[in-house]
Amino acid sequence: MSNDPDKVWPTGLTLKEAEEVHSYLIDGTRVFGVIALIAHLLVAVSTPWLG
Amino acid sequence: MFDYRRFAVQKLAGLGPRFLPFADVASDPVPLSRLLRLSLFQVTVGMALVLMVGTLNRVMIVELQVPATLVAVMLALPLVFAPFRALIGHKSDTFQSALGLRRLPYIFKGTMLQFGGFAIMPFALLVLSGYGEAVDAPRWIGLSSAALAFLLVGAGVHVVQTVGLALATDLVPVEDQPKVVGLMYVMLLVGMIVSAFAFGALLENYTPGRLIQVIQGCAVVTIVLNGIAMWKQEARSRDRAAAPPAQTGFAESWGRLSARPGTLRLLAIIALGTAGFGMADVLLEPFGGQVLQMTVAQTTRLTVVLAFGSLVGFGLASRWLGRGAQALDVAMLGALIGVPAFGGIILSAMALSMPVLVGATLAAGFGAGLFSHGTLTATMRAAPRDQIGLALGAWGAVQTTAAGISIAAGGVIRDLVLLARPAGQSPADAYIPIFALEILLLVLAFVVVLPLLRRGTTDRMDHKTRADLAAREV
Repeated sequence: MSNDPDKVWPTGLTLKEAEEVHSYLIDGTRVFGVIALIAHLLVAVSTPWLG
Repeated sequence: MFDYRRFAVQKLAGLGPRFLPFADVASDPVPLSRLLRLSLFQVTVGMALVLMVGTLNRVMIVELQVPATLVAVMLALPLVFAPFRALIGHKSDTFQSALGLRRLPYIFKGTMLQFGGFAIMPFALLVLSGYGEAVDAPRWIGLSSAALAFLLVGAGVHVVQTVGLALATDLVPVEDQPKVVGLMYVMLLVGMIVSAFAFGALLENYTPGRLIQVIQGCAVVTIVLNGIAMWKQEARSRDRAAAPPAQTGFAESWGRLSARPGTLRLLAIIALGTAGFGMADVLLEPFGGQVLQMTVAQTTRLTVVLAFGSLVGFGLASRWLGRGAQALDVAMLGALIGVPAFGGIILSAMALSMPVLVGATLAAGFGAGLFSHGTLTATMRAAPRDQIGLALGAWGAVQTTAAGISIAAGGVIRDLVLLARPAGQSPADAYIPIFALEILLLVLAFVVVLPLLRRGTTDRMDHKTRADLAAREV
């Protein structure tokens, strides 16, 4: 598509820009993962669902 | 042969930019509908405030039987983060980004913190209150997880509000700023009123399951509204990415901002005035109930009257400032209206007259509206283009801290006076010193602002520096 070797095909973002967008995705996943873990632990404390 | 792969990729590439959360180009005039959409983040802030200070305050004490002091400490926890607003604002000013973004990443992170706090909050509260098997669980689990939940929500609110206001300031030209400030305050109020009614109706028949639903529903609403608010608001800028903002330290940046004439004075006015107006917020209803023997429905209407007064204040302030009034003049008019208003409240305690109290409450709300609008607009106008985040962070830090301390101080003063006086004394004695203190604070704010008014420099000077900066940027 493009002759610029720095451009990530096909979105038109440069490599650095794409990495930044990706880093937000990774951050979000990590935070949500930790939150979900804590929430599950707390639920398990009050109503033990693992028996 | 039909090349499916090529076809799919081309379709995807055509769709691509539409599904990225930032705008491709900065469009110069920002239409009102877009500003309205941006101001949705204030609705979630209002919702979080009402949920924590109003609804959970009651639910924790009445339904979950958590000791009142513990509840007070939990609710005060987010205040610890308030001073960090300045730091967050500064960080967003100097954020290094390949996309040339400054505000969006922080709003995203703030929203996630808010969401995360709400997501674990109901379970933390249930564990804290010893629900189900949690009776046997060690006490520290409930304590620390509830503290974590409140801290997360508080930190998220601080980040979202600071950076959201900075983004709004970035987007609009100086002459439109009063409109934006008015919009932000009105949306905050709308969010608080609507969510207060909604939480009240939803939690009428309280069950633990319902509590979980309401708080987690609140988390989802937060992320959806903030998502809508931020969508394609900030333009990505290859220019800014190519020449990232200079990495100045916080101390240096703060030194540069506070060296500007009027900055520290403005912050002092904000602290004094906010404390002056804020003290009455939570004491008005018990005052009406204890001193004037009003019913719960009547005192609730008192709060509505106060909010209505603020609404009128925001509206008029937007109008006047949009027509070129000086922001500090408007703020000081608000403080000057506040003085007789609180005088009227004291008078109503002596005359035991409800109409006087309602009128004074309306005036106090009106004054508070003018004052908040005027000082925030003054902050925005005075902020140098490259330090908008820091300036609004400082505004938020001072404003939130002053409001929190004044509310706490009001309660403490009332309780101490009530304790010190023997029974049989009129309960009005406990409230009158507080309202008198509010008058004193407002007068002090006026005294501090006088030199600025006489010079009348802040606004004009800023147009000049801003023009200089603009010239330099070009």
